[in-house]
Order: sequence, then C-alpha cells, then structure tokens
Amino acid sequence: MDIVQKKKIGLIVIILAIALSIPLFVTKPYYIHVITMCLLWAYLASSWNLFCGFAGQLSLGHGIFTAVGAYVTIMLFNDFNISPWIGMFAGGAAAVLLSTLIGYPTFKLRGAYYALATVAIGSGVMVLIENTMTLGPFHVGGAEGLIVRLMGNAPAYLQFMSKVPYYYLALAMLVIVVVFSYWLKNSRLGFYLSALKEDEDAAAALGINVRNAKLVAAAYSAFFTAIGGVFYAMLIRYLEPMAIAGPMMSNEMVFLAVVGGSGTVFGPVVGGITLHAISEVIQFYFSDMAQGLHLFIYGLIVVFVIMFKPQGIIDILQKYYNRFLGISDRGEDESSVS
Amino acid sequence: MNMKLLSIKNLNSGYGDVKIIKNLSLEVNKGEVVSIVGANGAGKTTLLKTISGLIPATSGEIWFEDQRIDNLPPHKITELGIIHVPEGRRVFPFFTVYENLLIGSTMPRAQKERKKNLEYVFNLLPRLAERKNQVGSTLSGGEQQMLAIGRALMGMPRILMLDEPSLGLSPLLVQTIFELISTIAKEGITVLLVEQNVRQALKLSDRAYVLENGSISLEGTAEEISNNPDVKKAYLGL
Repeated sequence: MDIVQKKKIGLIVIILAIALSIPLFVTKPYYIHVITMCLLWAYLASSWNLFCGFAGQLSLGHGIFTAVGAYVTIMLFNDFNISPWIGMFAGGAAAVLLSTLIGYPTFKLRGAYYALATVAIGSGVMVLIENTMTLGPFHVGGAEGLIVRLMGNAPAYLQFMSKVPYYYLALAMLVIVVVFSYWLKNSRLGFYLSALKEDEDAAAALGINVRNAKLVAAAYSAFFTAIGGVFYAMLIRYLEPMAIAGPMMSNEMVFLAVVGGSGTVFGPVVGGITLHAISEVIQFYFSDMAQGLHLFIYGLIVVFVIMFKPQGIIDILQKYYNRFLGISDRGEDESSVS
Repeated sequence: MNMKLLSIKNLNSGYGDVKIIKNLSLEVNKGEVVSIVGANGAGKTTLLKTISGLIPATSGEIWFEDQRIDNLPPHKITELGIIHVPEGRRVFPFFTVYENLLIGSTMPRAQKERKKNLEYVFNLLPRLAERKNQVGSTLSGGEQQMLAIGRALMGMPRILMLDEPSLGLSPLLVQTIFELISTIAKEGITVLLVEQNVRQALKLSDRAYVLENGSISLEGTAEEISNNPDVKKAYLGL
C-alpha cells in the first residue's frame, strides 16, 4: 500500500471517528437535532445527485419521492401497524414505480423542458395529496397533514425518545448513499450517465441505451430519496404536504447539491452539511432582526457560490485534498474526491 | 455479386409536422463507398439520423441485410453494426481520448473485442495514441474528427455513416481525413458518406446520390455524377 492510499484511509477513519463521537460532546437535543438535519440534507442532496447530478438532468420535483416514501410508510404504520422498518421498503418501491412512470414520457425532454415537466409533476402531486382525505383503507389527511402515531420509545417501530439514535441512523444512511454514489460513478452505468450528460445525441448514436440508463439511475435516486422522506417523517413525526412534497423540499435538494458540486460523489455531502449549517446559524442570529432576513442572506450565499464557483465548493476542497495527498492539482488522481 | 447491405424504400421522416425526407429510396452494397451530396438543408443529416434511429421514420422501410430496422431504437441499430459519426464530431469534451474510445464500444458485440480494436485504432491513428490521456476538448478540430472516427471504429462498424467529416477543417486536414476514410474503406468497411465538399467526396466514392429538398434527384456512379452538367454547375462550380 503506497503513501497516498494510507493517507486516504487515514482521512476516512478520522472523519468517521469525529462523526461517531459527536453525540459524546454535543448533548443538547436541539444541537443534535440540527446536526442530524445537516446529515439528512446531505443524504437527500446525494440521493438527488445519483440521477440528476451524474446524468445532468435538472429535476425540480424530487419532493414527490420524499412524499411518496413517507406517506406510504406512515399510512402502512398508522392503519395497518406495519413497522416503518419494513414499510420504508414499500415506500421506496412506490417511489421507484412512480419514477419509472414519470420517466417514460419525460425523459424525451431535454434541458429546461425536462426541468419544467418535473416542476409541474411536483406541484401536481402536492395538490393531489392536499386534496385527498382518504385513500381506500388509508387515512391520508389532506391539507391537514398526517400525524405519525406515537409509540414512545419503540426501536422496532423506528421511534426513539432520544435524538441520538436518529443521529446515528442519519449518519449510517449518509455513509451508505456515499458508498453507493462512489460505486455508481465508477460503474459502467456511471460511465454511460456521464457520457449522456455531456452529449445525449452522441451517446445514443454510439449505441448507449439512453432511456434505460436514465430510468435505472432515476430509480436508484427515487429509492434513496424516498428513504430520506421516511426518516424525515419519523424524526419530525408529522407530515405536512407543503413541507414534504412542496417546492421547498424539491429545491433545497438541488441547491445543496449544486452549491456543493453536483455530479461528484462528495459535493452534495459537503454542500448539504455546510449550507444547511449556515442556514441554521443565520436563522438563529438574524431571524428576529427582520422578517425573512435569514432567507435573504441564505439566497445571497447560494447566488454567490453559483456565480463564482459553478463547479461547487468541492472544487476548492479538491485542491487542499490533492495537496494533502501530495499529488499535483492536475495529477492523474484528479478525480479521487469528485 | 452486388450484395445489398442497406436499402431504403420510400422513406419519409422529419421533425414533428415538418417533413424533411420525402419518399426517398437508396441502396448501399457491401464494400462500397457511397456519397450523398447536396446543398445545405437538403436533408442529408436528417437522413443519417433516421437510419441510425435518432429520429423515427414516419413511413417507408429501412432494411439492413434481411432485417427491417426502421422501428428499432438507436442502441439496437448500432448493435447491428450501423455506426453513425454525427455532424460536428460530438467528441465528449470532458472525457479523455481513451474514455472517448471506450464509450464507442459499449455494445456487447464490440466489448469482447475491445482490446484488439483499441490496438487497431491506435495503429491507424497514432496521433490518438500520443494524446490518449488528454481530454477531448483540448484536441484540435482535425484530431477531434479523427477521434470521432476512431470512436466509431471501436464499435466494429459494418457500415460507417459519416456526416460532414470535413466540416470546419483546414484544406490540409480535409485531405488527411479523406485519406483516412479511403483507408478504412479499403479494409472492407462499407461507408455511407454525407458531404458538402462534393468534389472530394466523389473522388473516393464508388457511387453517389444527389439529394435535393429531401428526395433523390440524381443517382449513379461517382464518375457519372461528377460528369453530369447540372451537378457540375450547381455543386462543382464549373
């Protein structure tokens, strides 16, 4: 094993050790909650990135997948007492089905037209949920939202009194999605996705089944996003259509991934954690100064990053990372982080 | 002795309601170099896109040997060995030369022979071997065209369809590219060539079709076409 390899492993071990020991130092539930949300957003941004980042498709409607995952799981739990541990796979499967159904007609659309279609579908699904009180045997709750039945401390039903288990759960989910992203990016499908991201026609002319590649990647992305929705539901214990399916949810995933660096493995993670942390901090300090000031500042930060670092924050980190590994910026190992 | 490889019968296609290709028929025999010449907007690119399945045919038939291909998706068509080098080269700008070549051989048939084909392409185009690890966007126009052709060769074409390979290249490089095409043809690969550079295209072709407003207005051997008074006047500037 060479020195570069050792340094890489060392870095991963240090980061994981810090992440695992955070609950030992941070004991206030509020702070744990904020950090958990950072991890959840990093997870959601990475899930969005699996398809949209790697294949360069701007989906502005990924909120429907968090919503479908969360609603299916919670409805199964509330009305049939099926544990969310099992229900989440039903939710994920429903999201995969939905993504495939949407994919067939929309994957023909390019660029802004695809983005517009996803906006329309996203809004449509939200309105549908808001206007559905019951669906067969299930209580959906319409615009009132859906309250998750409380069980007290019931690990078998994914409910904990303490915030700490949620933190570790979010961390585990983030690690899984990062490992999966890394695998996907280096797989044959990942190669196809980056080709069709650069030039869809050329990729098709060379014999890549563009639609299938998109459908499969979108299915992965929908599944992971749906699991994120389930986690959100169990953490907040209340589903509000606007919050789980609305444009805030959909757009936030895009902001975080793009600011961090979409189409890279670690970009959405960096973007999700830093940007969400910043947003919490400015909300804490500025929200009582003037109505909405924190959102204004948040928006400014997003605009500046996109203007001056369109490749994302990861591009800056990459330089330090390469220096740490002792390889030149344009060295052969250029793509090791991204 | 003439084995039909590709035959098109009464083909119509276009974009939405706009009809570009109107009732077009043509044939390409095994081992031939066939040119399709014509002015801007005659439908040359549309024709190639229809053959490779990027645009659906509205009516008519396209046959490859004894298989009808006009309703197949593009990846099935390339799998048969019909490889399209699109207009404007369309090299993947952020892929290295090596990766660009790899992506040309994604179909199962070509994947097995990947190593051999890489060697073949690097032998044929040593310039690409020198620039193996450079990204596509840093190549010159001529090198990009070579890469686009090399990438197509990685897919083991039985018929290579080239769309305006001389587009935007200096006269010297145009010469190089046409020499490359004739080398490829000599190795037994059938070539369907679309060109605005009529003189050069006719020089290396066996037969040619003149395309006007989406239909064939003239066909014949390359010599017949280049001696045709109308063609001389309209395309060769004589």
